[in-house]
Amino acid sequence: MLRTIKPKNARSKRALEAREPKEIEDPRTAIFVKGTHTGEVLNGVMKDLMALKRPNAISFSKKNVIRPFDDPTSASGSTSNQSLEFWSSKNDATLFAIGQSTKKRPNGLTFVRMYDGKVLDMIEVAVENYISMADIKSAKSTPGHKPLMHFGSELFDTHPRFMQLKSMLMSFFNGEEIESICLTGLEYVISVTCAPTPASLNTASSSTESTALPKVHIRTYTTKLLSSGTRIPRVELVNMGPSIDLSLRRHTPPDPELLKQAMKRPKLKKTDVEKGLGKKRKNMEVDEMGDLRGRVHVGKQDLGKLQTRKMKGLKGGKFEADDGEEDGEEEDGAKKRRTS
Amino acid sequence: MDVSGILASHNAKLDSLKVEKETPLDVDAGYLTVTDPNPIDEESYNSNLEEHLQNLARDGVQTLLASLFTLPTLPSPDGPLAQLSAPKTHLPRAKPLPKPKPLTKWEQFAKAKGIQKTKRDKRVWDEERQEWVNRWGKEGKNKEKEDQWIHEVPANADVDYDPRKAARDERKSRVAKNEKQHLANLARAQGSGLNQRDERKQEIERTLASSRTSTASMGKFDKKLEGEKKLRGVKRKFQPNETSVESEAKASLALLSKMESDSKKMRRDGPVPDKSVLNVRKAVRFASKGQGGVALGRQAAAVKGKKGGRKK
Repeated sequence: MLRTIKPKNARSKRALEAREPKEIEDPRTAIFVKGTHTGEVLNGVMKDLMALKRPNAISFSKKNVIRPFDDPTSASGSTSNQSLEFWSSKNDATLFAIGQSTKKRPNGLTFVRMYDGKVLDMIEVAVENYISMADIKSAKSTPGHKPLMHFGSELFDTHPRFMQLKSMLMSFFNGEEIESICLTGLEYVISVTCAPTPASLNTASSSTESTALPKVHIRTYTTKLLSSGTRIPRVELVNMGPSIDLSLRRHTPPDPELLKQAMKRPKLKKTDVEKGLGKKRKNMEVDEMGDLRGRVHVGKQDLGKLQTRKMKGLKGGKFEADDGEEDGEEEDGAKKRRTS
Repeated sequence: MDVSGILASHNAKLDSLKVEKETPLDVDAGYLTVTDPNPIDEESYNSNLEEHLQNLARDGVQTLLASLFTLPTLPSPDGPLAQLSAPKTHLPRAKPLPKPKPLTKWEQFAKAKGIQKTKRDKRVWDEERQEWVNRWGKEGKNKEKEDQWIHEVPANADVDYDPRKAARDERKSRVAKNEKQHLANLARAQGSGLNQRDERKQEIERTLASSRTSTASMGKFDKKLEGEKKLRGVKRKFQPNETSVESEAKASLALLSKMESDSKKMRRDGPVPDKSVLNVRKAVRFASKGQGGVALGRQAAAVKGKKGGRKK
């Protein structure tokens, strides 16, 4: 679809190289797209999410006909898929937030994640209660800082749909692998909590479709660090907004093959193995010099059957006592070896 | 000295920071995330939603900060930098893992010899001018030889030895060599899809095809030898015999301008000297038997001197 660009000068070549896959990835860029009809609520939600996601966020100004959940084999579904792939490759973005409000599904927000130019998974949520950042009068955090994230409910570890939501929100806000962080720069926290789990969800026998999934609350707070006398400060939270209440609607789980590819991690470097990461291997260790040493365990050797150098001249001696002669010959042979 | 009091107060302070939960909170320091696997308390949820959520978040963040502030730190101008551990949760990647590129010829050699890569600066200290000069680029030191206003020419040099041109050619040849090596590296990296033998075969076939069509009728009426491939899509185009006056005039003028223009010149000679019949350069070369104009002058002076001497 998109023509492959051949760089004509050094600057475009650098731009192209920046888009190539890397071992440790850059933060994902998100595109905020509006569907054919959005309302005031959805507009506000998308504006606030974009403010939290800056600078890795692109907002499309025009409204687009996009129906992500249509069947990819149908006409409208395949064009939606194609649109997503085209926007992803053109803008080098791997996350989408699509806002669409219909009569049947009011205030719907769809999160889409891409892998290798193809759609990996999608989650649609309904925005129920929304209080924008502007409505909450408080000091806001600096845009561009990394947020802390807090997930509160056991469902985020057990229920597959909530696990997908947690993974999606983590990719959205905090998916970058970093080595170090400035402790003074931890300014705000995004807290995602569920409503209490209804009893029916806990029983394994009940079908998942019939039970209603609990609502999800997203709150954003600025952290105030108070001195506590020890190295660890005491934290107090101030509501910063936005505060969004969602309920889960439709979703597409990721294709298992594609997910397996996406979850591949780069091989551990030697420095990491030295540090002790990776599988604990019993026969490898790092000695004082910093070298990685391994032990190879050979079986017990039968010294009688040892393969030594054959001296043809010593082979004769069949007419005399074997042991005595052999010893003498072996000594001779050994002497010969040493002198040679 | 009684330190038990200080210890007790310290512990009391630490206790105020502790967060007690049924199930310990799961902290993923690598992604700055904390997950609370405790089920939600219905009563506090129903009584005051916002307060309940804020309390939950506060407890979670306290635990997260406790683990973050105990990490090893490095000093930096903006404050302490905490060295984060590797993340525990695995998130899917956005792009596939990069394929390891094969090492170039130099990189293989350097690795075998243990040569480290040193980064050179763009600026270099020029002792003569006592200032920092670009090594390459605008007014770079690599063009010094060409831009000189005076050149020493060795005595055995050619008549038309142009030191500026020689220096420029040397620089350009270095660039060309580097380009050639770069292309060879790329070709090797792409994987020798064709080994040398097959490449040579393809080259031969290409030359054969072009020579077969290098006749007036584009090879249409030549006898085809057995084993030769059939050539496709080779046709000779004939312009119509009668064209309008305007188009013919336009074509002739275009041809003239192409002949005069410098764009498609094969040999880029300098500005042609005055169109005398004599080629001075060649004449001097012949007369001096390859010694050059200076030698000729010396000879002429010697002859003149002798002649003058004799006359006296």
